[in-house]
Amino acid sequence: MARAGNRKTIRTASAPGPSKLQRWLDVLAALLSHRYPIALDRLRREVPAYQRAGNEATFNRMFERDKDEMRAFGIPIETVQSGDPPEAAYQLRAADFYLPFMELAAAGGSARRPTTRRAPFTALQTLTFSPDELSLIAQAAARVRALGDPLLAADADSALRKLAFDLPVDALARDAERDERVVADQSPASRATFALLGQALLARKRVSFTYHAMGVDSVREREAEPYGLVFLGSHWYLAAAERGDDVVRNFRLNRMSNVSMNHAKMRTPDFAVPDDFRLSEHARSRQAWELGDQEVEEILVEVRAPTGAATAAAQLGEPVAGHPERRCFRVRRADTFARWLLGFAGDLVPVAPPDMVRKYRELARETLRRYEEGA
Amino acid sequence: MTQDAAQQLRRLLHLIPMLADGEAHSLHEVAELTGEDADDVLKDMRSLSLRYGDPGGFVPDLEIYLEATQVSMRTNHFTRPMRLTAPELCALQLGLAMLRREQVPEEQDTADAARRRLSAALAKLPAEGPGAGPVAAPMDRVHHLDFAAPGDRAQLAALRRGVRERRKLRLTYRRADAVESTTRVICPYGLVASHGAWYVVAHCDDRNAIRIFRLDRIERSELLDARFEVPASFSLDDMVHDGKVIDVDEPATLRVRYSPRVARWIAEREHMALDADGSLTLDHPLADTAWAVRHVLQYGADAEVLEPERTRREVERRLRDIVAS
Repeated sequence: MARAGNRKTIRTASAPGPSKLQRWLDVLAALLSHRYPIALDRLRREVPAYQRAGNEATFNRMFERDKDEMRAFGIPIETVQSGDPPEAAYQLRAADFYLPFMELAAAGGSARRPTTRRAPFTALQTLTFSPDELSLIAQAAARVRALGDPLLAADADSALRKLAFDLPVDALARDAERDERVVADQSPASRATFALLGQALLARKRVSFTYHAMGVDSVREREAEPYGLVFLGSHWYLAAAERGDDVVRNFRLNRMSNVSMNHAKMRTPDFAVPDDFRLSEHARSRQAWELGDQEVEEILVEVRAPTGAATAAAQLGEPVAGHPERRCFRVRRADTFARWLLGFAGDLVPVAPPDMVRKYRELARETLRRYEEGA
Repeated sequence: MTQDAAQQLRRLLHLIPMLADGEAHSLHEVAELTGEDADDVLKDMRSLSLRYGDPGGFVPDLEIYLEATQVSMRTNHFTRPMRLTAPELCALQLGLAMLRREQVPEEQDTADAARRRLSAALAKLPAEGPGAGPVAAPMDRVHHLDFAAPGDRAQLAALRRGVRERRKLRLTYRRADAVESTTRVICPYGLVASHGAWYVVAHCDDRNAIRIFRLDRIERSELLDARFEVPASFSLDDMVHDGKVIDVDEPATLRVRYSPRVARWIAEREHMALDADGSLTLDHPLADTAWAVRHVLQYGADAEVLEPERTRREVERRLRDIVAS
């Protein structure tokens, strides 16, 4: 594109000192422009804000804070001992900071060449993605975006924008959005809640929140140790153990309010997750009748009419030898199971044990009475 | 690092390499590509340039050109993006892990290779300081994501391939209320995950209409060589009504009253307020009586069809059959 029209260069006049952002950019530019570690006094000469810092102590505090914050952002500033006598020097290697060159393998196996290299990019490696890998990455980003966690979505988008610098990922991302849709809870929780829980999870800090327990319809304060965030079906849950309780429960994010985290001693975890805890196992999708602490009861169910709905549902049970029309279900909550079965309107019915058969038929009679009275 | 400053640094490390390529760029295109609005892009440009006469640093080499609708930049610094940060890598890896669970084994190699490739683009983690800690748990160990049970992964793989390559499929399918399966040729337009299940939205050549097929009711699928085109007017979004996947343009209305015992769950799901007595009366889009019967019966006596009358009668009929059996 050609430059034309009323061009103007932005230059501004006197005012307060440079912002923190400009200071960071100056530090990064200074470190990246040297192939070797640079000592603190050299860095001070190259960063205008450090020159204005006044005394040595103020400058040192400012630099230490900047260094920590940039490292927290993920920038690998190294501290090395350099010179004679040795003193602390700082280094940021271009190859550790800049994105590698990326190219797309052509269908025949050869790859599209990346852009021409020049300093400081000569040391960057080249990553070659296959079209299928790149397509899958675009789908992965679309999938993460659909979850409703604004922080995860922002990170996925940011990653994809970086890949798009060399790779034709934009078109693939559009295809992924066009071809698949996920219906998720549209208001799972606020950005602040996601941010706080994410921080607590990574640092293993306790959280407090107000929770509306739907089963007993009560609202009360909770303090819990967060083990993981789980997205199941359409909703986000926090898997956490309440203080003094070994049982890990799921708390739905949109039923939580007033979420806060223990900020004391942030570098020290408040708790340890048991070695044998596996989030994916804990989060395994379970039917409502499988939940709870009651004894497991085996219930035999018969497919009376093999409709699509009844046949698919029967697959959740185990086969019964010699009875292809029957399945065995392991159930903890009999009432919940009876209701689930009633949803198949007689196409899927319990045949044993007798208590379950009686419960199911009583539920049908009670429901029928509702309609007869209503009529 | 304050969150605002971190966000701004992230945006600028995207913006600078994009703008410093010797070309002028449309301000709106740049805003779209960075996920910001044009005003934020201008604010970022201004943040870069406010130096108040301080010598040295990054700015003396920096030139920014703003026209009415275009922007360009010259600088010797930051002309490539930064490597992936740990949260960026984790976000994509979480997505890949979700997809991997839906894949057949031969496809999983691709997901594994993509994960490895992305890991090689990760910024070297700081060896010391806050970037190296206090992370006590890797992000991908504290997240578990499942949209819907993948069901038969081979079927899902075939459907995805059909959608992606615009190839027809021959399906053996058993409708929710049918005891016999039928075979039909479909043009798969797209996939929708909703309430724990996968659906394929397709043009059914046999019915010459748009139909929705639930993955766990597909008994067999065969990818055909025949191709199709998706009509320009088609959108997957048009197939989702109130969070449900429905294949009719103007669904009828199912009115259900939920008792106070179950109403709060329904009210939460549908973003509705309870009635004064704690119950909830709700209208659902209705395309299929069999679905309506299944829906209300799962709540037993705690849900009652109010309208339409024919659905109410069908619920009664099915209940009488159960009681009489």
